[in-house]
Amino acid sequence: MSKKIMVIDDDPAVVEYLTTLFQDNGYETCSAKDALEGIDVARQEKPDLITLDLEMPGEWGPRFYRKLTEDPALKNIPVVVISGLSGHQYAINKAVASISKPFDRDELLQVVKENIL
Amino acid sequence: MAEDLLFIEPDEDLSAALSVYIRRQQFDVRTACVADAAEKSLSKQIPDIVLANPSLPDDDGTRLLLEFKSKHAEIPLILLTDPGNLESAMEAFGPKADDYLQKPVKSIALDISLQHARQHLRLARKFSRYARQLEDLHEANTLYHQLFDEVPCYISVQDRQFRLTATNRLFKRDFGNEVGDFCYKIYKHRDTPCPECPVAKTFADGKRHQAEEVVTSRYGRQYNVMTWTAPLMDEHGEISQVMEMATNITQVRRLQDHLTSLGLMLGSMSHGVKGMMTALDGGVYQLETGIRNGDSERIQNSYERIADTSSRIRKMVLDILYYAKSRGMQYQTTDAARLAKSLADAASEMAGKQGVAFHNEIDPDTGEFEVDPDWFYQAVLNFLENAVDACVMDPQKPQHRIDFTVVPEDAETVRLEIADNGIGMDEESRRKMFTLFFSSKGSKGTGLGMYIANHIIAQHGGAIEVDSVYGQGTRVKIRVPRNRTAAARAVDSLLSPHTDSEDGKKDSN
Repeated sequence: MSKKIMVIDDDPAVVEYLTTLFQDNGYETCSAKDALEGIDVARQEKPDLITLDLEMPGEWGPRFYRKLTEDPALKNIPVVVISGLSGHQYAINKAVASISKPFDRDELLQVVKENIL
Repeated sequence: MAEDLLFIEPDEDLSAALSVYIRRQQFDVRTACVADAAEKSLSKQIPDIVLANPSLPDDDGTRLLLEFKSKHAEIPLILLTDPGNLESAMEAFGPKADDYLQKPVKSIALDISLQHARQHLRLARKFSRYARQLEDLHEANTLYHQLFDEVPCYISVQDRQFRLTATNRLFKRDFGNEVGDFCYKIYKHRDTPCPECPVAKTFADGKRHQAEEVVTSRYGRQYNVMTWTAPLMDEHGEISQVMEMATNITQVRRLQDHLTSLGLMLGSMSHGVKGMMTALDGGVYQLETGIRNGDSERIQNSYERIADTSSRIRKMVLDILYYAKSRGMQYQTTDAARLAKSLADAASEMAGKQGVAFHNEIDPDTGEFEVDPDWFYQAVLNFLENAVDACVMDPQKPQHRIDFTVVPEDAETVRLEIADNGIGMDEESRRKMFTLFFSSKGSKGTGLGMYIANHIIAQHGGAIEVDSVYGQGTRVKIRVPRNRTAAARAVDSLLSPHTDSEDGKKDSN
């Protein structure tokens, strides 16, 4: 069974880009446009890896991450931060990787491959 | 220093004897006994004193000496005439000779004459030295005066009561020719001395002081100036006056403000730009893979994505350009209903794409108002766009709609109203909505749109009222005077996008 990646980003264009890219490389995908929706989708879909934007309307990425780790069923899912904010690598220090927008496709796919459960 | 004396005397014995005597009086003596030798001696080195017998055997000594005197009037000439020649010598030389002696010469007469010559010589030298110094002094004085006047700073000299005793040209140009008036009155239009006055500090401690001040010129313009003070001492070494030099740094301050907000903007913008570049990458990726796989649906999709992203980039660039470059408003009498109609068309298309219903109610008899049609259109369109975005962001309601109403409020005012049942704003967002760089749209917002819209409406003398409830929707009322008031015109000249970063922080209620 193929692995599933969940994409959280408030920009639908970026969501579409990431899901298409992952699908083209043999992953299943699901997505959420903000932190609140992200928790629900994560519970439902049980993804094997999450890519997370930091700055979104409503709750930001770091708070989503805290909620995620408070849920025993979700807390071990690896999270890759993909953000345009400078200093994003310090925002969630337990993230398995931090990638800057705009990103290199091969680099992202490599990071995903290495970290997916 | 021994003076160089040229002794011209045809009688060699007398010459030798007198030379010995004169050397004893601390003169360097050269001798000549014929006109030819005398002429050579004179041209070789100009002596300090000439002692001469004009009756020379080979040539006309009188002519030679008169010629010399006409060139060197300052050099003392003492004539030593042969017995019986005194009168003719006096007739020939008159006052051109400084003293006359007749042979046989008595040593006391020679002494006195030589001493006179020496005194005369020293006085003349002193005099010419003074004259040279006086000339230098005059030159320096002119130079300093020129410097004082031409220095590109405001210079004033003040006494202990802060009374201006001298000012330079630039000062006079911008603050008037007010010598005798008080510094605080001229610079700051105050009736009492300023607190923290650097001039007062310099009077107190004799040191230089520095301060940054805002002063007002005689034409009412405000300048930022950097002032330095320095004590001026009188002949007893006491501080009698203080000089104040002020450099106009208004331009620098203005640039600094502009750069600060530009830097702030670039910081906030870079995040949005990165998001858009990522979205553009996505479009390019889809195009690339779509072409490779012959997937026409994906190619179509990529086209839409790229077109959408490029229009977002265009809008952001235009916002930045508006902010970075001030463009004066160009007001025109404009038909409000017609302008509203084109706004409604644009908004209707935007709303339609997002599945939001758009209704408009434009009174065709709204009449005319005085606006800059381009900027006013852009400002209202920003509100309409925000309404569409608010609907898209709201996950709760199944149906969303926007109502755009344009009506004549009264004879003087046109009212535009934009109501949506989108996500709405909480109190904090509503309060901050016009703040520069505030955005509730995450990566899609630049924080410029509402700031600029508010700015433009304010420049039109208009007012914006915002009612919003989180989860329910937002209603924006824009009231614009048909004719711009004198006050608005005045505000216009003060507000430029560069200098009023405070403006965006105004609460709309």
